[in-house]
Amino acid sequence: MISVADLINENKVTGNYFAPDAYVQGDFELGLIENRQGSRLIALPDTLMEAIYAGLEAELGQASGVVLFNCGRWWGKNFYRRFKEEVSEYYEQDLSQMEMVEFLQCLKQCWKTHGWGVLDLDFNYYQQGFLVAKVKNSAFACSAPQGKQPVCFAEAGILSSFFTQLTGRELHCIQTACESMGAECNYFVLGVEGRIKPAQAWLEEGQDHLTIMERLSQNT
Amino acid sequence: MQPELEAFLYEAEERYLSKEEIKNFQENIQLFKQRLATYENLREQEIEIFQPVADKLLAKFPEDNPKILEKAIKHWLSVMRYGAMAMLLNNPEYFQRRLLEWLTPTIKANQLETVEKTLYDLLQKQLKEALPEEQLTLIQPFLEQAKISLLESKLSDVGAKI
Repeated sequence: MISVADLINENKVTGNYFAPDAYVQGDFELGLIENRQGSRLIALPDTLMEAIYAGLEAELGQASGVVLFNCGRWWGKNFYRRFKEEVSEYYEQDLSQMEMVEFLQCLKQCWKTHGWGVLDLDFNYYQQGFLVAKVKNSAFACSAPQGKQPVCFAEAGILSSFFTQLTGRELHCIQTACESMGAECNYFVLGVEGRIKPAQAWLEEGQDHLTIMERLSQNT
Repeated sequence: MQPELEAFLYEAEERYLSKEEIKNFQENIQLFKQRLATYENLREQEIEIFQPVADKLLAKFPEDNPKILEKAIKHWLSVMRYGAMAMLLNNPEYFQRRLLEWLTPTIKANQLETVEKTLYDLLQKQLKEALPEEQLTLIQPFLEQAKISLLESKLSDVGAKI
């Protein structure tokens, strides 16, 4: 016998916390936007993004990637903390107790609602110790300068620090395909730093994402 | 607010509404009243509607883990709640964004489709008994929307394919 009254009393929320119309609240007159919890959100106009890329390039040249990556790491650290806080409060359970599919849904929806692009995770290389993240319409790529190398270092930084904190293991992240180079979507590979390091050299040789993943898997 | 009623606000910017439009407005208010009554009815009868559905579901899937069935019932309790609100607001997008988009991958991942399809049919039958004809007509499009989104879409349609 299943008692519907009991089910109703359990009262677990099943809706989408990150639904854009509910999550992003704004006051146009004051020019403020905030999330459902009342934390301030910041809008990054394209011009600003372009200026960040161009300014860093002019000031630091090649090192700008490292700087952006570290900014991303810092950002990701706080992003993880807030994400964990908001999600566990709303769904009344800790991230670690959530079903995998629900957790992934939260992360994807959160990514999308923040306007960073459509995130998807590929677990096909899980056995080899790699996780692949795929981002379509990445906000970090659309205003980036077009070049011969992937440029979404900030995004790679966010992903690396998010998954480092989630898994409790120090994970590095390297971008293997970039929309700014005309790729269909951004690909990122996450794994222990020593294991994914060779990807950097293959990337400089001009190898594509699939080749890099194949070589990484064989490297085990 | 209801999109139709809102439209009148824009129409009436610098003139009086015509007789025809006022009549139309009244009809919309009438319809809104009906929506509200349907909403109340669904709210009041939540347990009466779902308990027989749960019993019949249990009878149809005696082998299945009751926890799984409970999960499916919870999904549809949410579907009805969000669906009723969407019906009140006459806003299918609200329904899609707040719940359906969210729930579809969960149903696929748990392979609940068969159970949920049966549940949907049982719920339909129960609603026919619980609601008068005109109220049923109001909620029906939203149930249809839920069915299409939750039970008929492929994984790739909801962007959950990896």
